[in-house]
Amino acid sequence: MTAYLARRLLQTVALLFLLSIVLFALVNLAPGGPLAGHGQSRHVRPERAAVLKRQFGLDKPLPIQYLVWLAGNDWMKVDADGDGITDSYGTRKGILRGDFGFSFRTRQPALNEIGLRLPNTILLMGVTMLVAIVVAIPIGILSALRQYSFYDIAATTFSFAGQAIPEFWLGLILILIFYVWLKNPFTGEPLLPPGGMYTLGAGFSLVDRIKHLILPVATGALAWIAWYSRFLRSSMLDVIHQDYLRTARAKGLSERTVIYRHALRNALIPLVTVLALDLPYLIGGAVFVETIFSWPGMGRLYYQSALQRDYPVLLAILMIGAAAIILSNLLADLLYAYMDPRIRYD
Amino acid sequence: MIRSRVLTMLSLVCLFALLLAGLSGCGQATQTPQAQPSPTSPQVGQPTSSSVVAQPTATQPSPPPTGEEQAPKSVVIVIPEDPPSFNAILSDTGYDAMVMELTMLGLTDIDPQGNIFPELAAELPTVENGGVVVDEEAGTMEVTWKLRQDVQWQDGTPVTADDVVFTWDAIADPETGTWMQGVDYIGGVVKVDDYTFVISYTGIYPGYLTQFGGEQLVIWPAHYCDAEQGFTAWDCARAPMSDGPFTLQEWVVGDHMIFVRNPNYYQPGNPVIDQVIVRIVPDATVRKTMLLQGDADVDVWTTEPVVFDLKDKPNVQVSISPYPRWVLRLFFNLAANGTVDPVASPHPILSDLRVRQAIRMAIDVDTISTQIFYGYGTPVWTELFRPPYACDVPRPKYDPQAAAALLESAGWIDQDGDGVRECHGCLNAKEGTPMEMELITYAEFGEPMTLSQQLIAEMLGKIGIKFQLTVVEGSVLWATAEEGGIEQLGNFDVDLWDDGYSGTDPTDFLWELYSDEAAEPDFGWNIGRWINDDFNGLLAQAYTLDEALRKDLFCQMAAILDEQVPSVLMFSVINADAHSTRVEGIQSTTFDMVTWNAEDWDVK
Repeated sequence: MTAYLARRLLQTVALLFLLSIVLFALVNLAPGGPLAGHGQSRHVRPERAAVLKRQFGLDKPLPIQYLVWLAGNDWMKVDADGDGITDSYGTRKGILRGDFGFSFRTRQPALNEIGLRLPNTILLMGVTMLVAIVVAIPIGILSALRQYSFYDIAATTFSFAGQAIPEFWLGLILILIFYVWLKNPFTGEPLLPPGGMYTLGAGFSLVDRIKHLILPVATGALAWIAWYSRFLRSSMLDVIHQDYLRTARAKGLSERTVIYRHALRNALIPLVTVLALDLPYLIGGAVFVETIFSWPGMGRLYYQSALQRDYPVLLAILMIGAAAIILSNLLADLLYAYMDPRIRYD
Repeated sequence: MIRSRVLTMLSLVCLFALLLAGLSGCGQATQTPQAQPSPTSPQVGQPTSSSVVAQPTATQPSPPPTGEEQAPKSVVIVIPEDPPSFNAILSDTGYDAMVMELTMLGLTDIDPQGNIFPELAAELPTVENGGVVVDEEAGTMEVTWKLRQDVQWQDGTPVTADDVVFTWDAIADPETGTWMQGVDYIGGVVKVDDYTFVISYTGIYPGYLTQFGGEQLVIWPAHYCDAEQGFTAWDCARAPMSDGPFTLQEWVVGDHMIFVRNPNYYQPGNPVIDQVIVRIVPDATVRKTMLLQGDADVDVWTTEPVVFDLKDKPNVQVSISPYPRWVLRLFFNLAANGTVDPVASPHPILSDLRVRQAIRMAIDVDTISTQIFYGYGTPVWTELFRPPYACDVPRPKYDPQAAAALLESAGWIDQDGDGVRECHGCLNAKEGTPMEMELITYAEFGEPMTLSQQLIAEMLGKIGIKFQLTVVEGSVLWATAEEGGIEQLGNFDVDLWDDGYSGTDPTDFLWELYSDEAAEPDFGWNIGRWINDDFNGLLAQAYTLDEALRKDLFCQMAAILDEQVPSVLMFSVINADAHSTRVEGIQSTTFDMVTWNAEDWDVK
């Protein structure tokens, strides 16, 4: 097991390294450039553009840019003032030492930009996932147990709808219902806020935070509920036709025990794997939900950085996302082995 | 054993999520916004590691704003994205200019009618009042500015000529990778006394009055900004020291900004309201809904569909600028697609003036304006359409038959009957070349632009010109030549976009779009490579302070543009800001962002 883990971690490092090359190349080779929006109404003079490029580190050949991005340039002489003489050490440390450069847009460190949004995204997506799991599991179980019943058909319909309804449309409809139409009967104020993370000037309160979470979580969770409940339904159906359940029933165990102790726990194993694979969403965020509900999260930052070719921020998000995906895959594999002793990684 | 493990893992995952949620909740809890305006934050402009941007210390405590027990008068502005900084000259989002206008002052500003008025300046220097001295022989000029003596930074330090010199030095620093209009004309800025300084110009620069003001530039505090960090990157552009009507109290990135009344503001009794809250609401429909529900007071740069929806709503008004600015236009590439030399490689189709005239005649501008822009477009057919340089150019007629006839006479005839004309004795194309071109535009403007693109292609299709439609991101269309910018490299036939000049002086704008110098890749935006010596001569003469002469020159240029059709101007899009009726004093303007007069706003 330890050997397996060590091997996988080594593979992860190698994979991340390869990915860093691919991502860096893709981002830099995509058409367009970061200088388009700099300077008043699209005016950037060539000599000024040269200064910007030097400051942004875009004046070097791509492989050198990659090297600086990866390992920094504080160990090599650079031409900091543009006089053509490489006379001073650079200031970049490189991503290997946690320096992702600064945002072209705000001139703030890229990690700062991410740090401002990451907690918000984890909160929103964490609660969304939690709600999705809590709602999806009973739906999935009941659908499987009463296969082809009215309930199952209703749940199936709901699942298809949940996966088909676009988030931006659902979000706007929910705002219309809960913000515009429905009022709090006591205060006359809208039942739920249209967005944001908290009420300005009201101070922190859990109730306020929850009120702000309801609509975005409902919007984001719907598709996940649909997907998880379908998943659980089919894995449950697989399990209940297994021999060992017949054995359990033959032993005279109550149906309740058979379902919840023997069937469900085995049916949940694949779901846990799927959940682990979805963990990267915790930091990736969701562009549509964040946009509709004015939630200052990672999805919006990513979208904005991509549109404005803010390479450092874009690359930082992509690299962190890639690492999260690789690690959650590893986690999924380990969880699988841990929960199902029949699987051995030796 | 297996089963209990499953449950353990599930609960672990749940716990992990809960823990994270709880943690981030706690993180947010520390930034309790203050409802009462009071400049209190102790930190001075450190780069922000938390989401709250510190504001500079105010040494003088603020007196209570108005009456004792009254709730603060507050206005909520909703915008789709954070301003990148408070230094508007660094980007073209407009939101930086909006927050800059709330907090900082330039030498001058422009009102919605296009009149220049002094802000930090005590008066406008002119030739008449001796503020401007022209050296006719050398062709140079010197402008002496006097500053108001009653303006202070929020920490009580007076705003002096040192701040102006400091600001100029920061801009002039070769390491400043940005450019401002007319920067090449300034020889230097010299302090005379604390409230007087002289700007010497190496030529005649007619736009001198708004160069250190308007919506682009403000004066920065020498004692607070760190020159070492550089003009484009200094922290004081994120945590500004105010000398304007409001001070920044809090900035939670991605969520909101809170501005409170600056008690040291020089105008007695202003600002009238106590705080301005800027909320970041990315979705236009949500912004509109919040406005209708009373949770937002001002929506910035409201678009035509929203203005249309807000019509007849009792609690919302739309302020429309007296003058438009952004004109939807077609630019013709006079050099062959992929080249930049209109003489060596003329465009096979568009280099013929008659083709350009025919295209102009075949576009039904009013239909596009009413069908796609809800009738809010104002027809515009010349660059010189607004005071002080409004020229009398006759509006081109919409006449598709005449357009078709013109194409026939130009040797573009559809002989094979496929609906697309081919060259039969045309000017610059090979015999038989079909009249097919690419019409390109950018995506960020949104649906109205792409619908207009389709409608224009349809109209031109009716007279036998076939278009392939391309939509690209702005960062691809406008990138530098080196980055592969489509416009700079001339990789298009016809280009559809919206543009217009800021401020009241069109000289630099005309240079930028139509001069021969600006046709050089990366030097300007004469992307159609239209070279006209008469025009260039007139433009060179326009760098003068003789207003009567300038008017005449601009109208001569307008006549040349009308005759030569390097571009087709169609109509201006709306420049409007929607606001709730409880806020008084809001006046949308094309010369500035809506917050230009925030100190005068009041709430009912």
